[in-house]
Amino acid sequence: MTASTLALENVAFAYPGSGFRIEGLDLFVAPGELVAVIGSSGSGKSTVLKLAAGFLAPARGRVVIDGVDVTHAPPRMRDLGVVFQAYALFPHMTALQNVAYPLKVRGVDHQTRRERAMRMLELVGLATLAGRRPDQLSGGQQQRVALARALVFRPRALLLDEPLSALDAALRGEMRDEIRRLQQEHAIATLHVTHDQEEALSMADRVVVMREGRIEQAGTPRQLYEAPRTRWVASFVGRANLWDGVVRETAVETPIGLVKTAALRIPAATRVTVLVRPENVRLGAAADGANTFRGRLVRDRFLGATRRYDLEVGGGTIVGETSEAGAIDVVHIPPDRVQVIQ
Amino acid sequence: MAWVTGCYLAYLVLPIVLLVLGSVGEIWLNTLLPHGLTARWYSDVWSDGSFRRAFVVSLEVAAATCVVTALLGLPLAYAIYRAASRGVRMAARLLALLPIAVPPLVLGFGFVLVFSTDVLPYLGSLWVLIAGHVVLTLPYIVQTLVADMRHLRLGVLLQAAESLGASGPRRFLDIVVPSLRHSLGSGLVTVAALSIGEFQLSNLVAGFLTRPYPVVLLQAFYGATGFACAATTILLLLALLGSVTGSLTARGTVSA
Repeated sequence: MTASTLALENVAFAYPGSGFRIEGLDLFVAPGELVAVIGSSGSGKSTVLKLAAGFLAPARGRVVIDGVDVTHAPPRMRDLGVVFQAYALFPHMTALQNVAYPLKVRGVDHQTRRERAMRMLELVGLATLAGRRPDQLSGGQQQRVALARALVFRPRALLLDEPLSALDAALRGEMRDEIRRLQQEHAIATLHVTHDQEEALSMADRVVVMREGRIEQAGTPRQLYEAPRTRWVASFVGRANLWDGVVRETAVETPIGLVKTAALRIPAATRVTVLVRPENVRLGAAADGANTFRGRLVRDRFLGATRRYDLEVGGGTIVGETSEAGAIDVVHIPPDRVQVIQ
Repeated sequence: MAWVTGCYLAYLVLPIVLLVLGSVGEIWLNTLLPHGLTARWYSDVWSDGSFRRAFVVSLEVAAATCVVTALLGLPLAYAIYRAASRGVRMAARLLALLPIAVPPLVLGFGFVLVFSTDVLPYLGSLWVLIAGHVVLTLPYIVQTLVADMRHLRLGVLLQAAESLGASGPRRFLDIVVPSLRHSLGSGLVTVAALSIGEFQLSNLVAGFLTRPYPVVLLQAFYGATGFACAATTILLLLALLGSVTGSLTARGTVSA
């Protein structure tokens, strides 16, 4: 098993003739680690992948694979398995020929490359469809062939460019597990670019949130969800109630009223943002009356296991989640569930 | 709608049917259909040296035109497809379309002027004829190839091949040529058919010994009706043959 690393060091890049630029970007993927880069379109996440793959050359900085500087190496010398958004399978080759292709260009003899490609197809559960051409395969099957092709030559790292965006929702969940399983079995450093934050949180060891060419925050999925550093990250990662306000001792004065917090070490009069995740909003009034809000139910969505509702209170709306049925007119937020972002 | 389609088909097919009938009819004078059955007209055309030579010239020119347009068209189409700026793409498209917009007659006059000078005294040679046909047919094959490259998203396929370790020449031979085989084939069929049927430019630039079939065919209309019909039917067969050769050339290029 390989124990390679992938790193972008102090990388700068600008598309000519556009305002977009990446400046001093650092990114490290440890051996066997899956790092997801998320961001909205135009955030630079795809550019990061192209820089790593070698399809774009940085203006400054280095791309390092396994401790070797590959900044000026063409893509074909980098030994990276890339899975493209639309799979990019060769239409005139069978699934087996597609998977065997990287071995063919590496001069592996016919018999050996057939065996290795076949074993790889077995690994992704497609051994029986080896003789089919891409247009005779479903989207999910094409995705599996693309993964097999990217892994068969034991690349030093795996790059995934929105690999699931072309699949329907049911299949996407299944393929998430499949990609994660293969990635862990091969213990391969993986850079996964996606606009789907849910996909990133559920698959990645670490998540990097990008915005306008900069890294806004990087951390484990739990860190990002529970301790977002900025208002923007809080709103981008998961669902959130966000209210701007001003600190008053251990509470924050917001448009919906005074929100008490458990422990606040921020000087009074500081402008902050209050973050409350919907699952932390509780039904009914608090025993001591803290953070209790009355209002009118304006939206009620049934999501299967949970129910997400909007409660209109004076000065704003509280989004909450519950598994209980019944009317809702009063909720409370336990002070220890209130986060404050400076 | 059905009868419109019917009329159209009749309009299309009837002349061909009459041609074929006329070519095997013994006498055809002021009647709806010819009288008698004969193979005489075909043997007359066959025994006519100028027709036989023209037949061979047409096949040679068509084959050479197919080879040259394939060799020029693929890289040209790829360059247009990969051109970064919209302006360059637009200019390349316009330039490539120019030979379609300009009447072959104009092009022919140009050829006559250029190749009858002392510097380039090549008018009447087979190569000038082939060059003319290449200029006239290249746009058709380039258009077909560019459209197919877009449809296949060849750029992404090449990026994939590159990331998998394939060098430039390998990518061209393993990915570009085979994935374009269908459009290359249909493009070459068009090229072959156009080359074989081309009259305007050929009539101006061909030498006496390098006259292609349509140019010689013109003389047949001064003789017997049966002879003219037989000679024209042969052109039809020739065009069909050219199309088949064109598609076979494409397949040959791929398997090589």
